[in-house]
Amino acid sequence: MAEASRARRAVLYAVSALGGALIASVLLAPGPPLRAHPARTEVRFWHMWTAEWKTVVDRIVTRFNESQDEYEVVALSVPASSADSKFLLAVVGGDPPDVMAEWNPVIPTWAESGMLTPLSELMSADEAAAFEREAYPAAKKIGQYRGKLYGLAVGINLWAAYYRTDALTDAGLDPAHFPSSLEELVRWGAKLDQFDAQGNLTRIGFLPSSLPQYAPLFGGGFYDWQKGVLTLDTEPNRRALSFLVENRKRLGLDRVMRFDSSQNAGSGIEWPFMTGAYAITVDGQWRVEQLARYAPELHYGVAAIPPPQGGKLNAGWTSGNFMVVPRGAKQARGAWQFMKFWSGLVEPERAAELYTWGGWLPSFPAVANAPAFQNYLQKYPQFRKFVELMPSENWDAAAPVPYQIYLADREGAADQLAARGVLEPSAALAALQRQVEEEIARRRKLGFND
Amino acid sequence: MLVRALRKALPGLLFISPWLFGFAAFTAGPFLVSVYLSFTRYDIVSAPRWVGLENYAVLATDPVFWRSLELTLLYTAVAAPIAVIAGVALSLLLNFEVRGIGVYRTIFFLPSIVPTVATTVVFVWVLNPQIGLVNGLLRGIGVVGPAWLKEPKWTFASLILMAVWGVGGTMVTYLAGLKDIPVYLYEAALIDGASALQRLRFVTLPLLTPVIFFNLVMGVIASFQYFTQAYMLLNQQAPEEATRFLAVYLFERAWRYLDMGYASAMAWVLFGLVAVVTSLLFLSQKKWVHYG
Repeated sequence: MAEASRARRAVLYAVSALGGALIASVLLAPGPPLRAHPARTEVRFWHMWTAEWKTVVDRIVTRFNESQDEYEVVALSVPASSADSKFLLAVVGGDPPDVMAEWNPVIPTWAESGMLTPLSELMSADEAAAFEREAYPAAKKIGQYRGKLYGLAVGINLWAAYYRTDALTDAGLDPAHFPSSLEELVRWGAKLDQFDAQGNLTRIGFLPSSLPQYAPLFGGGFYDWQKGVLTLDTEPNRRALSFLVENRKRLGLDRVMRFDSSQNAGSGIEWPFMTGAYAITVDGQWRVEQLARYAPELHYGVAAIPPPQGGKLNAGWTSGNFMVVPRGAKQARGAWQFMKFWSGLVEPERAAELYTWGGWLPSFPAVANAPAFQNYLQKYPQFRKFVELMPSENWDAAAPVPYQIYLADREGAADQLAARGVLEPSAALAALQRQVEEEIARRRKLGFND
Repeated sequence: MLVRALRKALPGLLFISPWLFGFAAFTAGPFLVSVYLSFTRYDIVSAPRWVGLENYAVLATDPVFWRSLELTLLYTAVAAPIAVIAGVALSLLLNFEVRGIGVYRTIFFLPSIVPTVATTVVFVWVLNPQIGLVNGLLRGIGVVGPAWLKEPKWTFASLILMAVWGVGGTMVTYLAGLKDIPVYLYEAALIDGASALQRLRFVTLPLLTPVIFFNLVMGVIASFQYFTQAYMLLNQQAPEEATRFLAVYLFERAWRYLDMGYASAMAWVLFGLVAVVTSLLFLSQKKWVHYG
């Protein structure tokens, strides 16, 4: 009896000790860092960058906080998977951040719902004029909706052709004379394809994919930026999609699909170009720094994707990181100061250094021409090609329509259905046109404008 | 009388009040509000705008809705019975009192407690057409395996495979049901000269039907709400013809396109469907479920 009582007491002590330790660990756990400048006005900044990127963003925030004594930007990294819904709920709940960095196609939908502050309300007349005059075309396309600017780009993404010089040389191709037409590039690709004894692909020379990327090269695209109308089932788009599908068929739809599925999605060191699975591929400017970090010995070059005969030069798809100010932001003015600081709309020479930290393409030529950025280009000469492509008007961005996400989803589906051989390219685009028209009709029935 | 009953129930109600409050605020409340929202145009941010029956009318002509409904019904019709058959078969095997049976039961139960997301990620690799385990094994016997998650019919088959993989959860309930069957019934059947198959057909299965019925109803409801695996595969570039289930489309409309009114209407149609099918199952049970 006494033994049982002792045992019970021992268990009780053990449980109490554990509980005490748990409470102590909660109480003593390091809390969020205290503000460095509590006397200043707090500007709450949400973003989705993590790991090494978060470190860069934190450095930029620190640099801004050191640059003036009125505001303190406090950054919060929000998981990308739930960032948009968290933002929505914060706006609805009346407690949004003051500024948020985004890269998803959200501006039209959010602006249409009245969730975003037009930046014209925050910009001075001089700033608005400077943006209109100075900003690269891509930066303007990314942030606008119904003629108003809602997002200020702080890093543009462009795509270009990366080629492995060793692979080209081995195949008897001269890297110094990269093809000037898409047709010739395809011929190069065919010489670079490699197969095993069973006929499986072991290396793809060049395989074009993604309709949004190639349609502008054929003179197409999904939106007429001058007229402000969608252009889905058009002759240039049909030619572009047929070109993509024909190239897959040349290698074999099933064979390409199997080869692709054995490749990692391609972040960092597992990027198929870096591993040698692709000899020529199309990718974004951020790969330059990754190649320098993870494959410094790799010899490669970067060139603009050449257009087809009669197509458009320096064309393709663009997207980017941009900052938005939600309606109801308590410190919209402070948010604007931070956005200006980062984007380089003011003091571009100072902003240039920030872009080099992240390996981002700036929105303004003055930033690109600043000494800090030019030093960066000396260090990463392949990056220069992307900067040279920036002034082109031929970059197509997501169409600024209020059902932008729906449209992007349907475009992706049309692309995929054609690539898998389920639908002929013309049928896939006709289906896309029909679906979008149905969606517009559905929205009108529910009382939306378009 | 009522006051006395309430007074008697009060301590109990107080004890469960946190749950009652949570249920009212987070389940019953939104449930009722969604009825109203289904008659509105609502994007979360702006106030809901009354559109009458327009959401339901538009839904009736929405081809994506009909395709996703068709896929959901097909999945329910295939996955729910297969899950029952696999669960019963597995429980019959694991009902044998052999050495180490506890270990076997644990092994078969384990997949059902692995988070769905983790299981799906593993399956994406296992079913990879080039470097996946399944096609590797098939290659070993000279068969070129299919592109599991790239072709609609094989993607659908993969989803069924994943459903069977997690059948260990229901297996436990079948095992409990089997243990509940009185031994004397088997003894009587043996004396009457019933074979093993006859004992299964005329003793085991009839007495297991309450558990089968329960699992079938739960399985059908879960199939109608099928979401996680399909949504993950859709985001992994699996064909949308085999992954855009009704719940996935509903989620897209609600949270991707901010069309809460339309999504609410869809949710109520889904609820109606589940209610009808479940009612039919309940009506049918008189004919095939034996409660001892």
